[in-house]
Amino acid sequence: MLIVLRNINKVYKAGDVDVPALINLTLNIEQGEFVAIIGQSGSGKTTLLDILGCLSHPTSGEYWLDGDNVNILPESQLTTIRNKKIGFIFQTFHLLPRKTALENVQLPLMYARAPRAIQHDRAKELLTMVGLKDRLYHYNNQLSGGQQQRVAIARALANRPALLLADEPTGNLDSQSGNDILTVFEKLHQQGQTILIITHDPLIAQRAERQITLSDGKIVSDEVTHPSSKIMV
Amino acid sequence: MLLAIIHDALKNLSANLLRSGLTMLGVIIGVASVIAMIAIVEGGQVWLVNSIERLGTNLLFVWKKRMTVEERRLYAGRNTKLKYTDALAIRQKFPELTVAPVDWFDGQVKAGDRDFNGRIHGTSPEFSEMRNFFPARGRFITTVDLQEWRRSVVLGKTIAKVLFGTESPIGKEVKIFLRVKNRKKVNSKKKKGDSIKEEKKEQQPVSEYRFVVVGVMEAKGEIQGKDWDEMIFIPATTMIRYFLGTDRIGSLIIYVPDRNRMDEISQKLRQFLVQRHEGIRDIRIRNQGAFLSTVEQTLSTFRIVLGGIAFVALLVGGLGIMNIMLVTVTERTREIGLRKAIGARRQDILLQFLIESTTISIIGGGLGIILGIFAAYGFGNVVAQAMPGGGDWGAVVEPTAILIAFTFAVGVGILFGLFPAMKASKLDPAEALRYQ
Repeated sequence: MLIVLRNINKVYKAGDVDVPALINLTLNIEQGEFVAIIGQSGSGKTTLLDILGCLSHPTSGEYWLDGDNVNILPESQLTTIRNKKIGFIFQTFHLLPRKTALENVQLPLMYARAPRAIQHDRAKELLTMVGLKDRLYHYNNQLSGGQQQRVAIARALANRPALLLADEPTGNLDSQSGNDILTVFEKLHQQGQTILIITHDPLIAQRAERQITLSDGKIVSDEVTHPSSKIMV
Repeated sequence: MLLAIIHDALKNLSANLLRSGLTMLGVIIGVASVIAMIAIVEGGQVWLVNSIERLGTNLLFVWKKRMTVEERRLYAGRNTKLKYTDALAIRQKFPELTVAPVDWFDGQVKAGDRDFNGRIHGTSPEFSEMRNFFPARGRFITTVDLQEWRRSVVLGKTIAKVLFGTESPIGKEVKIFLRVKNRKKVNSKKKKGDSIKEEKKEQQPVSEYRFVVVGVMEAKGEIQGKDWDEMIFIPATTMIRYFLGTDRIGSLIIYVPDRNRMDEISQKLRQFLVQRHEGIRDIRIRNQGAFLSTVEQTLSTFRIVLGGIAFVALLVGGLGIMNIMLVTVTERTREIGLRKAIGARRQDILLQFLIESTTISIIGGGLGIILGIFAAYGFGNVVAQAMPGGGDWGAVVEPTAILIAFTFAVGVGILFGLFPAMKASKLDPAEALRYQ
């Protein structure tokens, strides 16, 4: 089991009032699954992403990622986990300005203290894989939205993460580019990459093999939509 | 890693060129003013010490003290005032010292139809060496001149030129006479209330004597507001006999071979002279060493005050850095969030922003050094022109001053960059990512 969430609660404080974002949430995700988490805004999607991405601690409950009990680890070790085990993809791409595609992809490798030659080679390899071989030295403003998101995917994959976390990855793209991105995800899935997409769009969620619907901080449905695809058990 | 961070810092700074430039300006001005201020004061010190040392070192100056009317009445008829014989007595009592009596009067030197009004100094052979002032042609006053009251004269360079042009003045004859007008004070002391006679005396010079030019002094220029090339020297004994009519002498210059004993010798001399003057304290002794250290003390106070002001400017520059770094951190909150999300540790972020602020201060410091050196020499020139006789006051840019200013600037960059960098490193990644 790659991800085990047990009785996760997350409560935000708004003044004197406690606002629960996640209520007693329990969830298991296997290695190699392609999961979509779907829900209206305010359903707790983003909170769940933050917890899964080790960006914040749950108020209570247990989170096991790849055998590590994440919620007892200090910030410094969470950083290492984010760097090594999680690849983030955001709606707004979050590429650094004034950096080339190559430099952006090298960033997680730099923070992993990889040698410069390896940083360069690995980044080049990944960009080639997402179809940007001839865009290595382009800056963000010289790339289309779809291309930028593909740079972001390459960056997310830099340290061969156990989990790819995508937050509305097609939200800022036209339907064609969005479709291209989803195709990349499907390809990665076929190679055995665990992928978790968070979205409010049922059409996108349908591309995943498992859909989890979230409402008011609780899982209201959890179904396998593509029985045909192989789930490694 | 470090290289990549420095590369990033330079890129980010150049992306906001105007902003980075203005921030740097604070550091540039700070560093430049530290360097310039210290250099100017340093230059002043070197100039002062040089100008004193160029006129000989290890000197004690003995002057007659100006007495009040009451004192004069009290000591009337007693053996007071500095006398030529005091010089001889000191030589006997302290054989290790060199003594030169010096007095002067305003006179006129005439050669044919050319003349020159100047100060005519009576002194002894020792003067030349003590004041580090030598004849370029001919000779200075000798012991024989002194013993035989010879009418030998040594001319300053300018005077020789005025009187003789390009001709060699050695062996030529000049006439020297006292300009009575300027000895009014002396006369009025002698004959109180007899002002009518004095006026008459002013009309016609009384004493005019022929002298032979025996030497011309080397060029010395203006030092401490006095033009040494306009000096005229005659033997002290000759001056007393022909012009002063009294063996009182204005001052003695005494050379002490051992610098460390100057205070002690000064005390002993005072005792000795007071004893000779029947216990009356009618002399003053100025110790050149003590004077020098007073000057140095004053200047180091200047250095501290001016340097302090400049350092405040540097601190203000540091505040500018802090201000801009805080803005930068806020602007780049999302970037910080992203960096943390993909694995930047706290110290990575801290280092990134510290390097950015330090880069500002290093570049600013470097430019400040250049500006400071220019400012120092430029301002030094202005001072030199504004001050009479300050012609060779130049700023002295000390490498240590540069080093201190630069180190301080970099320190300011780190110190004032630390708070914004800490703020950045402590940002919550989840919040920072979604910062609007």
